[in-house]
Amino acid sequence: MTHFPILAIMAYFLGAFLIVIFGRNRGVRNTLGFLATACPLVLMIALVKPVILSGQTIAYWMGGREPAGGYAIGIALEVDALGLFFGLLIATAVFVAMLYSFSYMSHDDNEPQYYTLFLMLCGGVMGLVLSGDLFNMFIMIEILTFAAVALTAFRNTATGALEAAFKYLVVGSIGSSCILAGTIMLYAQAHTLNFAQLAAFLPGHLNRATVIAYALLFIGFCTKAFLVPFHPLAADAHGAAPAPVSVLISGVLTKSGLYGIIRLSYILFRTMNLGTVQFWLVFLGSVSMFVCVTMALAQHDFKRLLAFHSISQIGYVLTAAGLATALGVSSGLYHAMNHTLFKGLLFLCAGAVLHETGTTDLDRLGGLSKKMPQTTVLFLIGAFSISGVPPFNGFASKWLIYQATYQKAVESGNIGFLFATITALVTSTMTLASFVKVTQSVFFGQLPKEYENVKEVSLGMRLAMGILALLCILTGLFPGFVTTYLTEPAARAALGANSYINAMMGSGYAESFGLADTLPVRFVSAGVWSPISWLCVLMIMLLGVCIVAVASRYDQVSALAASEAVPAPAARYGSGSAAEGKYELFYGGEEAVYSQVGGEDLFWGFKHNWRGYFRFMHELHSGIVNDYALWAVVALALAMLYAMVIL
Amino acid sequence: MILVNYLAAFFLITLGLYCIVTKHDLLKSVIGLSIMDYGVNLLIITVGFNPGGTAPIFSFGELNPSSFFVDPIPQALTLTSIVIGACVTAMSLSLVIRLREMYGTTDTREIRRLRG
Repeated sequence: MTHFPILAIMAYFLGAFLIVIFGRNRGVRNTLGFLATACPLVLMIALVKPVILSGQTIAYWMGGREPAGGYAIGIALEVDALGLFFGLLIATAVFVAMLYSFSYMSHDDNEPQYYTLFLMLCGGVMGLVLSGDLFNMFIMIEILTFAAVALTAFRNTATGALEAAFKYLVVGSIGSSCILAGTIMLYAQAHTLNFAQLAAFLPGHLNRATVIAYALLFIGFCTKAFLVPFHPLAADAHGAAPAPVSVLISGVLTKSGLYGIIRLSYILFRTMNLGTVQFWLVFLGSVSMFVCVTMALAQHDFKRLLAFHSISQIGYVLTAAGLATALGVSSGLYHAMNHTLFKGLLFLCAGAVLHETGTTDLDRLGGLSKKMPQTTVLFLIGAFSISGVPPFNGFASKWLIYQATYQKAVESGNIGFLFATITALVTSTMTLASFVKVTQSVFFGQLPKEYENVKEVSLGMRLAMGILALLCILTGLFPGFVTTYLTEPAARAALGANSYINAMMGSGYAESFGLADTLPVRFVSAGVWSPISWLCVLMIMLLGVCIVAVASRYDQVSALAASEAVPAPAARYGSGSAAEGKYELFYGGEEAVYSQVGGEDLFWGFKHNWRGYFRFMHELHSGIVNDYALWAVVALALAMLYAMVIL
Repeated sequence: MILVNYLAAFFLITLGLYCIVTKHDLLKSVIGLSIMDYGVNLLIITVGFNPGGTAPIFSFGELNPSSFFVDPIPQALTLTSIVIGACVTAMSLSLVIRLREMYGTTDTREIRRLRG
């Protein structure tokens, strides 16, 4: 059992190298890919019993070099509940993305290279979350950044793919260099790279150098999680990358950044009991939530829009994780899990639309529910989940996050946390608004003539989407099960650093540094809701809608027969462009020239009132790589300054 | 003496960042990334340096508590970091070549189809 973590990492890398050698044949390649992603999933599930149920921390010293004389001399892998939680998420998302890839990528050339890079990325992330060594973590970050950049540019003839990859490489490298510089500054102070030993050493030694190292590492992990000054990179990368890679970037890569931030702040530095650091994380999370959701409202590309929503949801996770209460961390991790599931599902649906129609432009798509009914249902499940409609999983975690922020505001008497609650609520509403728009533009409305021959996607792709949709529903229906068996043990691991240190370095090691577990572990859930009854309500409403739809069909048929004589609206006004016909629903078919309102969108009124803000944001996201690098440098400078002042 | 090394390391990192932020040419961005990388490498090697220490190469019999040598771990880290830096340069240069083919320019202000 102690060998499971290293085997899980090796399975991905071994798969990657074997595909290079034997990957010419499709059958061999797919079998290897399936095995390489299924094995780690099985191994992670096998680790649930000892790590989560019995509360053990598995320490694995490479080459059997165990710590001697209180010094960790070997490279360690560690699996505590926090690491395993992220490991499970990653293994699941990767497995589903691999299933989807089999038919999605079957028309591309260079398929063996795709699978190699894919598995390298997975191995990098898995190695990162199971690693117990800071430099090892840096290596894994570099592997996953390279693989992600190469995969972004994989379809290098697509618009913007190379450009997105270059921008990601430049800013991602700045982030990686920050992590390396932070690592080496910690090494200079503590003369170790082992997490457990650093965690024992650092809380008593917060001086200028370690604080600067904290800021450097923090910004480095922010670039990996694409938090707010780095969000344009995520949008670019998602827009260009193939859909399964989007699942990896949003569901897996951002999680590695979040994991880094949680590990860094809660276990290594234990700075989370400082109000200023809590404020920092909550502020950054709230800003990410709000800025990205407003950016998403202004998008006209399906995948780009989803990418901004993805970062917005990451903001929720960071806000909740920054509360430093047991409920906060637990709800944040719950949302992190849900984010992987529903965002993966949504990206796969966008991929299905792209695969069949060849475009992700929201202005050109429409009415696909008639041609792709199953994809539509799956997309709706994902959209309900991300918008927080009960009883889907997004509601369960967002509800806990509202409670956690409110509870924190009441307990600490700090009104600032109430703003986080309000931002979270407003963001959730805007997410719903945005998804109403997407659903309407892509799946409902009029079907453009060019897409009359569109078919439903293949079974393999529907299967992958179905697995994620099922998980979305299950984790929403049984929140008690998820919190008890997954997120609460993980939160307990994040808050109880001493048991982690002792598991790695021998018992009594943490106490010898005079460390006590500073954060109390209490799980109080204020509100109660019953997901099953919400499901019943939803079913009844759906039934009602179906009855109305069936009943009104007879009227529609007669109305259609009557309207045969009347020319179609587009022909009536002589407007040729597809976009005008598409949105005429919003302004009653009146021609745009005579219309008082610019009815090019469902939310034209909102956008009109906020036009100053939207124009400002549009100009800010200029697409020039120097600007994004400048944001990174400014963020780094601010983080260092803040750390110097407050710590 | 060692202070000069630290100053040079941070100067190189800052210079690299300055180059990335202000220069509107893809190749110069790549050069900036490399300079920053060299700065970090210099920082690592400086951290492990002990004035007067010998090379950290010993057999089991020779090593005793009075042995004085430079820290070997940062040297191993630097080697890894140099390899990674070479990979960053190679990959970004290959992207620059393809970008030049596709956009016909290496000016970052014109390579901005994705924005807003």
